[in-house]
Amino acid sequence: MDFIRGIFEPHIPILDDIKEKGVRQTIEDTANDSVRRVTAGLDIPALRGMLRGDEPGRPNPRLTPHADGFWLHMRPGFYNNLVTGLYPSFRLGWLSTFFLTFEIITGVYLMFWYTPSPLVAYQNMVDILSTVPFGRLMRDMHRLGAEVMVAVVALHMLRTLVTGSYKKPRQFTWATGALLLWVTLVLSFSGYLLPWDQLSLWAVTIGASMAEAFPPEVVGQTLNLLVRGGPDIGANGLLRFYLLHVIGLPLAALVLFGVHYYKVVIHGHSLAPEDENIGEDTAKKVPLDKREYFLPTIATRELFYVAGLTLLLIVTSAWFYHAPLEPHADPQVTPLHTTAPWYFLWLQGMLKLGDKVIWGVIVPGAITTISVVFPYFELGPNRRYAARRIGLSGAAVSVFVLAVLSFMGTPWYAVQSSADQEVLAELLPQTHPGPLLNSDWDEFETGTYEAANWQAAPTPALRNILHEFNESLQRHGDTLPNAEGIMVVENWQSGLRKVTLRVLWDSIETGEQTESSQSTYFHQDSAHEVTTRFGG
Amino acid sequence: MKWYIGLGLGTLILATAVAAVLAVQEPARMERFDAAFHARQIENGASLFENNCRTCHGPQGRGIPGVAPALNAADLFDGSRLQAVGYAGTVEDYVRGTIAAGRPVPSEGASYPQRMPTWSQQFGGPLRQDQIESLVQFVINWEQTALAEAGATPSISEEEAVGTDITVSLPEGDAENGQLLAEGSLGCTACHVLSTVGPAWAGEGETAGIGARAASRIEQPDYIGNGTTAHEYLFESVVLSNVFVVEGFDPNVMPADYGRRLTPQDLADVLAYMETFR
Repeated sequence: MDFIRGIFEPHIPILDDIKEKGVRQTIEDTANDSVRRVTAGLDIPALRGMLRGDEPGRPNPRLTPHADGFWLHMRPGFYNNLVTGLYPSFRLGWLSTFFLTFEIITGVYLMFWYTPSPLVAYQNMVDILSTVPFGRLMRDMHRLGAEVMVAVVALHMLRTLVTGSYKKPRQFTWATGALLLWVTLVLSFSGYLLPWDQLSLWAVTIGASMAEAFPPEVVGQTLNLLVRGGPDIGANGLLRFYLLHVIGLPLAALVLFGVHYYKVVIHGHSLAPEDENIGEDTAKKVPLDKREYFLPTIATRELFYVAGLTLLLIVTSAWFYHAPLEPHADPQVTPLHTTAPWYFLWLQGMLKLGDKVIWGVIVPGAITTISVVFPYFELGPNRRYAARRIGLSGAAVSVFVLAVLSFMGTPWYAVQSSADQEVLAELLPQTHPGPLLNSDWDEFETGTYEAANWQAAPTPALRNILHEFNESLQRHGDTLPNAEGIMVVENWQSGLRKVTLRVLWDSIETGEQTESSQSTYFHQDSAHEVTTRFGG
Repeated sequence: MKWYIGLGLGTLILATAVAAVLAVQEPARMERFDAAFHARQIENGASLFENNCRTCHGPQGRGIPGVAPALNAADLFDGSRLQAVGYAGTVEDYVRGTIAAGRPVPSEGASYPQRMPTWSQQFGGPLRQDQIESLVQFVINWEQTALAEAGATPSISEEEAVGTDITVSLPEGDAENGQLLAEGSLGCTACHVLSTVGPAWAGEGETAGIGARAASRIEQPDYIGNGTTAHEYLFESVVLSNVFVVEGFDPNVMPADYGRRLTPQDLADVLAYMETFR
């Protein structure tokens, strides 16, 4: 009979509470209870007190979420107030983490509209720009974030080197960090291939050809095949780079990041060199009077940074930076100058020094290995700047050498190509719109114009382009004697004009007049200057 | 700490506001992109046309008789060509399908010895899908001018035409103008110079050019035509090409309507140009 009564008179605990404490108190308690569960230990009054800036009381209840909650258990409960300022960390480690998260979020958004196949990848890019809401914004932010992240991670490494924070006991933290830099570089680079435009194909072709140089030959060939998925980059290669970009490398980054940050917390944030006695490491024990608690100070500050940076990235990507999209990948058309991304220019520069095996494999391999393990061999205990003249000079020299090598990686250094092609490519580059297509279409009146006679052209845009043409011919005067530049503008179709640039010069070898020309088609609505600002 | 919270919240609201502004602008931005992208397709299509299509469809897509039809022509856009082949879709789809998959069989009544090849990689051709699409947009972009020019196409009346009597005396020919005609609207060079569909005009090795060959040809025992001079031989070859077909070539390949299409002056110019090939 009790069983049947139980069905008709169900026991509802909250009713008991109301009977006992009244409605108001019950609601308050229930709300507090829910909040406590979400925050893993803090109820509403505790949260309000925190935001008001009340003293925490003892024992500090704001440490409970660090002990009981999953997310905050990864963060230290308090920091040494010597490391919470801009110096010595410059927030670079935190920024790296922010950008990793930012890239994952924007990247997942883009994944919804992307298929890793050469047949549709480029069309996907066009769709992202033309039909996906916020598609261009997300793509621009993802690209911008990737470039900034590389810079931030590299600066983080440099900062650690300069403050000597890699020294004992943090050698392992440094080693994982050095690997993380490589993961970041390759992560950023592997994303280059995905849009399947000319930039993708040729930047990655250069990169993959380095794998081929790995000795002995059979290993190099196998590596090359593994990376490209065939003799040339095609459907297999794209799929490989895609999987590497969206699964392999992010996973490696997250695992390495977990280890890296665990070590950071375990050893404590390294203090500035001058804040410690020589040879001591006091970061781990934070005296009571120097404690800056994570809740609420550090947490609110970080949330503020997140909001500010997100705003900055949105505004920059919406109005100032647009990720380039070059013409569709075409193995038949090699752009005049293909360069690696800026963070691999030093490698491209080294490859110009000579042997591919030495400068493309052995030296970079040695640099990588040394950069990972050197803290285990560099044992000087003193972190003070004055005592590390050799080490800091070495760091400065390394930065300088990297800068010089990067310059050597650009087309300005030791690249042979015919001057007439250079002249034409300055006005009509194959990879991005260039000055001619960025001009005002309406001002491109039909006619035949001479570069030398640029002042006589009827419109400012024509004068401007012809002037540039003329300057460029004069710059190459030693290799293009008696050069003449001619530009022909013809009406081709409704809204479409054909522009032909011709260079005539006396060949140095034969003395005969030689000609070189290039044509382009220019449509009224192509708006090159709007849609690919910063392009290329 | 309080100013952090205030500023952070302010930033958050600002970021949301910026996102809202962008959301409002998105449709207009997408439209702009579509227009710009369409324009780029036309630009790309123009250069693809010059590199791949011009040799048969002629400069500016005016067509070359006996080689390939005009695309920059009113009948393509006013639907009459679609009606002739019994195609029920749009002009754009017709152009797209023809470029991508080619034409296994020419239209009825057309005398095109060469078939439109397949261009899409999908059907074994050389071009990617995006290139096919660019070509389509370029060809479709002729619509406005092609329709505007309809009816304005110069045509000649029967009285003006030179006809097929090869003994008629022609005015003095201008070889330079003949070259313009042969390379342009008449399309002779597509088969006789640029390809080997018809006998080559230019001499090569021991073979003399068409101008010199004409004289020796009428002396040949297998010559069954009516020409008695080199000039008449060339006249006949143009207006009555099936009377005598050179060995190794097929009859009915050359368009048979030049007698109706040419004025005496035009023919004289073309013959003068042919005679320059020695």
